[in-house]
Amino acid sequence: MTAPQLAPAPRPDGEAPAGDRATAGPLLRVEDLKVYFPITEGLILQRHIGDVRAVDGVSFELARGETLGLVGESGCGKSTTGRALLRLYRPTAGRIEFDGHDLAALDGGQLRRFRRRMQMIFQDPYASLNPRMTAGGIVREPLDIFAVGTPPERRERVRDLLATVGLDPDFADRYPHEFSGGQRQRIGVARALALNPELIVADEPISALDVSIQAQIINLLERLQGQFGLTYLFIAHDLSVVRHISDRIAVMYLGRIVEVAAARELNERPLHPYTVALLSAIPVPDPVIEGRRRRIILTGDVPSPANPPSGCRFHTRCWLRERLGNPEECVTQDPALRPLASGHQVACHFAERVDGSVEQVQVAAALLRRAAPVDSTRAAPPDRPGPAGAPPG
Amino acid sequence: MALLEIEGLVVRFRTHEGTIHAVNGVSFQVDEGETLGLVGESGCGKSVTSLALMRLLPSPAGHVEGGRVRLDGTELLDLTEAEMRDLRGRELAMIFQDPMTSLNPVLTIAEQMVETIRAHTQMTAEQATARAVELLGMVGIPRPETRLKAFPHEFSGGMRQRVMIAMALALHPRLLIADEPTTALDVTIQAQVLELLRALTADSGTAVILITHDLGVVAGMTRRINVMYAGYIVETAPTAELFAHPAHPYTVGLLHSIPRLDAVEGEPLIPIEGTPPDQRRAPVGCPFAPRCAWRLAACWSTNPPLEPLVTGMPVVLTGDRATHRIACLNPPTPEEAAAGLPLREGFVAAPAPGSVVDELAIAEVPA
Repeated sequence: MTAPQLAPAPRPDGEAPAGDRATAGPLLRVEDLKVYFPITEGLILQRHIGDVRAVDGVSFELARGETLGLVGESGCGKSTTGRALLRLYRPTAGRIEFDGHDLAALDGGQLRRFRRRMQMIFQDPYASLNPRMTAGGIVREPLDIFAVGTPPERRERVRDLLATVGLDPDFADRYPHEFSGGQRQRIGVARALALNPELIVADEPISALDVSIQAQIINLLERLQGQFGLTYLFIAHDLSVVRHISDRIAVMYLGRIVEVAAARELNERPLHPYTVALLSAIPVPDPVIEGRRRRIILTGDVPSPANPPSGCRFHTRCWLRERLGNPEECVTQDPALRPLASGHQVACHFAERVDGSVEQVQVAAALLRRAAPVDSTRAAPPDRPGPAGAPPG
Repeated sequence: MALLEIEGLVVRFRTHEGTIHAVNGVSFQVDEGETLGLVGESGCGKSVTSLALMRLLPSPAGHVEGGRVRLDGTELLDLTEAEMRDLRGRELAMIFQDPMTSLNPVLTIAEQMVETIRAHTQMTAEQATARAVELLGMVGIPRPETRLKAFPHEFSGGMRQRVMIAMALALHPRLLIADEPTTALDVTIQAQVLELLRALTADSGTAVILITHDLGVVAGMTRRINVMYAGYIVETAPTAELFAHPAHPYTVGLLHSIPRLDAVEGEPLIPIEGTPPDQRRAPVGCPFAPRCAWRLAACWSTNPPLEPLVTGMPVVLTGDRATHRIACLNPPTPEEAAAGLPLREGFVAAPAPGSVVDELAIAEVPA
């Protein structure tokens, strides 16, 4: 996946200035990122009465060629994090180190020079393409802005890009409304690829698409990553999609990362009570598994990020805290992200108590066992782990 | 006799851009207390089918152009609007995807619930209010007496959907249609709402038609499933049977194109190529043919009817022993269904007859 390969089209303008490029270290390092949106009162004298703490102290690293999945429910700050990385929002505090340079401190021309190395794919392929521009014009715009190559070279590059994302280059003259949702998303991907970026932030890139189209786009993104050595930050609410595409997953809740682990580890051994609940809530398209699973139904809604709960932000809905007899620590002390296993970090005072609990066994058992009856046509092929038709855990 | 019988339902929309062939001859039945899933992608006709039977098609564009809908023997399509209004809520109720647009934003929850209850019963305002409080408590809304006086915008999405469920079940309907009831909700809230819906309808013996695109949701919530594509039912079977032995190429394709939480790592997704059909064209041949890996030359001209998977089986229409039926000339074998691909030596999907269809997408370049 991560093998560096040459892009088919050379950068017409040559490489970015050598001074910008540090080779060692992660591509992206985010440290204690905070993005607050002010709440004001009054029409004329807008008094600042509070903040929506959309992102409240997020730290993570992204290695070159890696895919980090950022998952969480609406309002958890995952999209704001993605946008702040590209400096579409100005961070309230914290560092965003891209290739060794702190983006949070940059402005104007300096920022622009980095922006071409990072691109975004948006959720809604209907809203993110200008309806008055042709598909070709949309894909060419970044090349025009950064004055890449001569006009004929740009035209050729646009045709290449459209073919790369699986569209017929002859449709460059068509307008967005002439394409289906999946095809529009391909145009959005081609636009993101135009400047040979290193980092792509994909913000819910498939959730607006029809089910049968989603796999087309997921496979396209995976193929492009192999082809161009891209680094992805893949933001989505759907843990099963994130798990499929990501190397590592960070779970967010109310502006914080509560757990980070390798995709497989997170899925098989979740350690934060929220992750456990999230995994147990996702329906699996298999009535046998669905019939056996016992869900952790979280009570209540996500609290407001304008007034997050004290201590651990999840304590108001936490099933584990309830089981442990509502320890005071959860309310008074804010748990830091701490390593519990290699590459596995969790922000919970009682994460050790998650392992082996009844729910944990239920989730893992349902997931590890493709519990198909022996006579089923979907019985596991030989390479699949787990005994087929094993009794419920 | 089944509670609901739909026979040969045809719904079209007349628009400026031509006629939309939304539902093209759909027949199915629902028993008392049965839970049926209608599964398909946007535009497959699953919502239009339910709106047609509720007599709520957008007017004047939408028309039922054929077929019959009987609820407990009553022909719904022949009723006057007043008779139909009396039936809605009392016999048939519906929950929509977006609870914000289906609740009236300028009325309090109390006004909306009491209005519904009093329109169909002889209750006094006090009795109806008491019933509304009871219902809100039943769907798990804390402090129902206070919350009753709130406006819809003061509730979160999950709470609004609970209010919708409370209103839908207020009059003990015999059939509840839930149209993507949790699609707008977060996954932990979805689990809450589905659990509630399951418990309440099981208690009251209400039959449910659950409309969704999410195969995971129907797997846990229904006993029987109709898979729809382009206004047709292409496969129908009891839920366990459908997931164990998917037999229509579209169902097989759907099951292989979604990442599953229980999938083995590194298992590639097999997408369904192409795009959903343009329903402005009158259907010719099998609607799935342009995207089908199993198509034969005949599929371009013949649209097969729903027939038992095992030929000659007597057809049972409802219940857990309903016959597994598909509409396909060349169904995948069980091995092919498990693999998601045609495995026959040298088999190539039949090319389009005559001129190539205007397909914008060209084939995916293999990595």
